[in-house]
Amino acid sequence: MIGAPMLEIAVVALGLLVLLIEAFTERTDKRAVAWIGMSGLAAVLVASFFLAPSPPPTTNGFWSFYTADSLAVFFKRFALVTTILVLIMMIDYAPIVRQTVHGATKQAGLGEFFALPLFTCAGLMWMASATDFVMIFVSLEVVTMSFYALVAFTRRNPVTLEAGVKYLILSALSTGFLVYGITWIFGATGETNLARIGDVLRDGGEQVPALFGMALVLVALGFKIAAVPFQIWVPDVYQGAPTPVTAYLSVGSKAAGFVVLLRVLEPFFVLPQTERLLVWVAALTLIYGNLAALPQTNLKRLLAYSSIAHAGYLLVGVVCLAGPAVGYYFVAYLLMTILSFAVLIVVASQSGDRIEDFNGLSRRSPFLSFAMLVAMGSLAGLPFTAGFLGKFFIFDAAIRQHQTMLLVIGVITVACGFYYYFKVIRAMYWERGSSDSTVPVSALTRYTIVALIAAILMLGVYPQPILNALRPQTAALSATR
Amino acid sequence: MATLGQYLIVSGLLFTIGFAGVMLRRNIIIIFMSLELMLNAANLSLVAFSRYRVGADGLPNYNAQVFVFFIITVAAAEVALGLAIIVALYRARQTTHVEDISTLRF
Repeated sequence: MIGAPMLEIAVVALGLLVLLIEAFTERTDKRAVAWIGMSGLAAVLVASFFLAPSPPPTTNGFWSFYTADSLAVFFKRFALVTTILVLIMMIDYAPIVRQTVHGATKQAGLGEFFALPLFTCAGLMWMASATDFVMIFVSLEVVTMSFYALVAFTRRNPVTLEAGVKYLILSALSTGFLVYGITWIFGATGETNLARIGDVLRDGGEQVPALFGMALVLVALGFKIAAVPFQIWVPDVYQGAPTPVTAYLSVGSKAAGFVVLLRVLEPFFVLPQTERLLVWVAALTLIYGNLAALPQTNLKRLLAYSSIAHAGYLLVGVVCLAGPAVGYYFVAYLLMTILSFAVLIVVASQSGDRIEDFNGLSRRSPFLSFAMLVAMGSLAGLPFTAGFLGKFFIFDAAIRQHQTMLLVIGVITVACGFYYYFKVIRAMYWERGSSDSTVPVSALTRYTIVALIAAILMLGVYPQPILNALRPQTAALSATR
Repeated sequence: MATLGQYLIVSGLLFTIGFAGVMLRRNIIIIFMSLELMLNAANLSLVAFSRYRVGADGLPNYNAQVFVFFIITVAAAEVALGLAIIVALYRARQTTHVEDISTLRF
């Protein structure tokens, strides 16, 4: 039996080990570093199934700001799987990093590129467990700091650098809001612990300053999950960042934001204003994300807008307090987003990341275009894919909670989604491409893509495994509310 | 002696000046400076809240003061990383003005 905090300690130790190995082995192929990272993370993932049950929350000491309930453990595993998949993509991306980083040696910068996601992963796992504002702040900053470096990593490319600066300024701004919001919540309640803040508010503590603080914290979390009107950074940063980092941002960063959102909202759902505010944010996010995606011609930018749209569907689940629906949607979102970015990296390394670069891909590489077909179909919500059931569960929850407005907007925007996702499919199967050269795919990527396709199709017809894994979490969520 | 309200007004002013700086100024270094001002506004009000929330034992609530140390540490790390990125940008573009970095457009 292993204590839950050991998982994060192991991941941080792994990150340091990888950095040391990187520093002392100059001549070996740096991709070995990524392999060490991946196998270490896989070992931690296995270890997460042998956790000792966490002690009940205490009033002070370690377990007052750290929890290992099933929601936390589920998102820890989610972070680990995401990081492993991102490292696989990074191996494919290595040649581009080599071209765009200054350095004395041919492999300069590669080791750090593979080591930084490990620290991000540790931050994401801490965030899943945090139940105190101090802990939430510090873990959020661990994630944000490592993303600053990752987004601006390929610094010879001016577009990436620009994305890095934009991400830096806007993230730091959201940090400012977060900290100032926490300050006011502390001022109103005298606590930084979420459970005790809830107690104070229920007993009729000072509500106005607490609500003001909460609004500021929501602004900061809105930046993280890319909700309207705090989504302005998303398209630019997603397009400019190195592609594996974009995938990591859109899955990992968003998942962590939603866990924190679920935890932070728990004490504040006592106040009715919170729900009304969230309904509007969800509706605006759905409309903006889907409409702005329509005219896009760059696939990375299209996926950025689509990630805003998906944040909208997830917010609908949060408003309806549908814990398992949100969890299932996240698993589906992880699979289809990583799959589309994995294909994008392979194709973009040969031609480019505009949609027209996918013209005639079905003739050049039937395998890759089938993978993209599955990913786009699932993102749009075709039946028999994981994406369909994800949206199904969310809308089901909305019907049960009588959120008619959100339901109507949701269904209309899904129809919008079909248009822009199918633009990619049309380019692959109906347009004629300029070149006829085949697209080479490395064995590792091929196996990963096959596994992702299989998982999407399997979860689309047989969602039971994930729903079962989420069941204890349902009990925990409804018990706390 | 100054009251809690006076401290909060000063910290609110600092936060507003910082936010206005981020929104209005066009030099990235100044924008970054304004961001630090926002964090320090939070620090000031945290310390004030801590000082004026005296517990049953007559001691201030030290949670907030500990939190201030975390914020200072994070802010220092942010400056180190942020300035490195800005320097890299200056080397590539010879500019630190936001109007000049607009390759990425809708």
